[in-house]
Amino acid sequence: MAVTDEPALRADDLHYAYGDRVAVDGVSLSVSRGEILGLLGPNGAGKSTTIKMLIGLLPPAAGRIEVLGMPMPQQRMQIQARIGVVFEEKNLYPNLSGRENLAFFARLFGLADVDLDALLERVGLGTRGRDRVSGYSKGMRQRLTVARALVNRPDVLFLDEPTDGLDPVSARSIRALIRAEAERGVAVLLTTHDMYEADALSDRVAFINEGRILALDAPERLKLTHGQRSVRVRRQVGDTVEETVVALDGEELRALIGRDGLLTIHTEEATLEDVFVDFAGRGLE
Amino acid sequence: MAHTRNAVTAIVAKDVRLFLRDRFYLFITVLGLVMFGGLFWVLPATVEEQLPVGVHLPGAEALLEAGLDDAGEEGLDVTVFRSAEALEEAVAAGDDLVAGLDFPADFLAAAAAGRPTTVRVLIAGQAPEGLQGALAAGVREIAHELAGNPLPVTMPELDEMVLGVDRAGDPVALREQLRPLLIFVVLLMEMFALASLVAIEIAQRTAAAVLVTPARVGDLLAAKALLGTGLAFGQAVLIALVTGTLVHAPALILLALLLGALLVTGFGLMAGATGQDFVAIVFWSVLFFIPLMVPAFAVLFPGTPALWVQALPSYGLVETLVRTTTRGAGWAEVWPYLAVLAAWCAVAFAAGTAVLARRVARA
Repeated sequence: MAVTDEPALRADDLHYAYGDRVAVDGVSLSVSRGEILGLLGPNGAGKSTTIKMLIGLLPPAAGRIEVLGMPMPQQRMQIQARIGVVFEEKNLYPNLSGRENLAFFARLFGLADVDLDALLERVGLGTRGRDRVSGYSKGMRQRLTVARALVNRPDVLFLDEPTDGLDPVSARSIRALIRAEAERGVAVLLTTHDMYEADALSDRVAFINEGRILALDAPERLKLTHGQRSVRVRRQVGDTVEETVVALDGEELRALIGRDGLLTIHTEEATLEDVFVDFAGRGLE
Repeated sequence: MAHTRNAVTAIVAKDVRLFLRDRFYLFITVLGLVMFGGLFWVLPATVEEQLPVGVHLPGAEALLEAGLDDAGEEGLDVTVFRSAEALEEAVAAGDDLVAGLDFPADFLAAAAAGRPTTVRVLIAGQAPEGLQGALAAGVREIAHELAGNPLPVTMPELDEMVLGVDRAGDPVALREQLRPLLIFVVLLMEMFALASLVAIEIAQRTAAAVLVTPARVGDLLAAKALLGTGLAFGQAVLIALVTGTLVHAPALILLALLLGALLVTGFGLMAGATGQDFVAIVFWSVLFFIPLMVPAFAVLFPGTPALWVQALPSYGLVETLVRTTTRGAGWAEVWPYLAVLAAWCAVAFAAGTAVLARRVARA
């Protein structure tokens, strides 16, 4: 399903502070159906607090939230019936099996006809569903939390650092699930401090630092607009190979290409981290 | 409303499953029931009221042995010894005798003639306080009687009136006195189990996962309260059945146990909400545990407990159990204690749910 213009999630001018420490300072964003919006920022930037307000766990000090056309927190219960959340922590019941964990949450949603086995199969836990979660690896637990978030076939998915600390195989399978959900028309908001994840998954990326959104656009556009595109040129000079990095659209490149001994030319694109550093004056770690 | 019921039922069912899968709590629960139930039946059901006393009176052994039945009626279990050394050894061993009276060979003649004589009163180390004086008075009375000199007092006529249940000849046995303590310990063990379940839910942030479904904070609190009360009440009833407590005014005792279960649930919610880890749960649980236990210990000692003990939340429960099971008290006598207990339940419950709601909201 293509991304629609209809916003499934809208937040306007959100504010939140823990005592004197301002955590979220005027965050505004929207996510359309079928769209994946990545909230990219370093630890402590305000990502998790923003998500907590959007899912109804924290009341915003100021600002407005609308999910699926309903105001939060006024229609919290109706909203929460139609959203799925993956927390940063693997907050499962270790003494219950994977299947029992899902069954419990299905009951909380008042759903009796969820095909739990199919859901477990979908996250690659088909054969381990009846084992206790205490015996699961970190990657298996994370896949189970994703399955839990899908138990009510949500219209909006909130994912807080969904692949943090996972091995590449587990991370890839979770990303595939997220993409599949977006294709089903689900609006996805994911927070991450992993620029590769944000780049690979997101239709748009919002840079967040010190509680503020610094930029919000498609990753490609952000990189093209704000990043420094460059060219790496290698030339044979006498017995040595000389390597030079120059701007893509500068006179210097034309001059280099015109010289003798040209070996290779590689264009280099700015990464999202480069762009983030440009905006925030700091890295993502 | 239907959704709330569904959410509460789901959380309770999940918690019961978790409780049954936690080997530690299951073990201490079963152990507690078996141990306390067993302990009750192992403790003596009656109080030994006869004092075992040895007597050595040379030349009058046959006379003494003939009068042993009369001594039994007076509350004395008399053993006649043939030598002073044997009597002394028996009292010193302290196994069978608490005291011994060693009369000289000329005691009867000297007492009858009004001559001075000496009687040795031997007291075992573990003998009750006051026994020595009582025996000395008894010996003097015997000497007076033998000399033909009645005591220089005239005993007044006594009009005896027993208030409450007449337990003369049927004193409260140790196990009867311990009954409230046993029941209360079982209740408190469940406080610890509930606190642990609550603390784990918060520490592992599963509460947050529950609260982003249509379940409300109120549903979570209601489920925890139901579970805690159910666990504590169920096991208190079980131990009450095992110890035969429910034969006395069952409805009254069941109400008292229910209020007791609510009370410990309130404290369990508080301990669980404040606890961050196992050590913290133990600390907070013990902090509530000790003062709540004081009234149950206080009933083991004679006399009215101090005012501060009466002010403790568990006093109403203990007093209700004691009065009902050992004195045959009914509603008319115990309702003030139940009323105070109910008030404490409301306070503990309100405090427990408020603290937990605050903690869950911050989770």
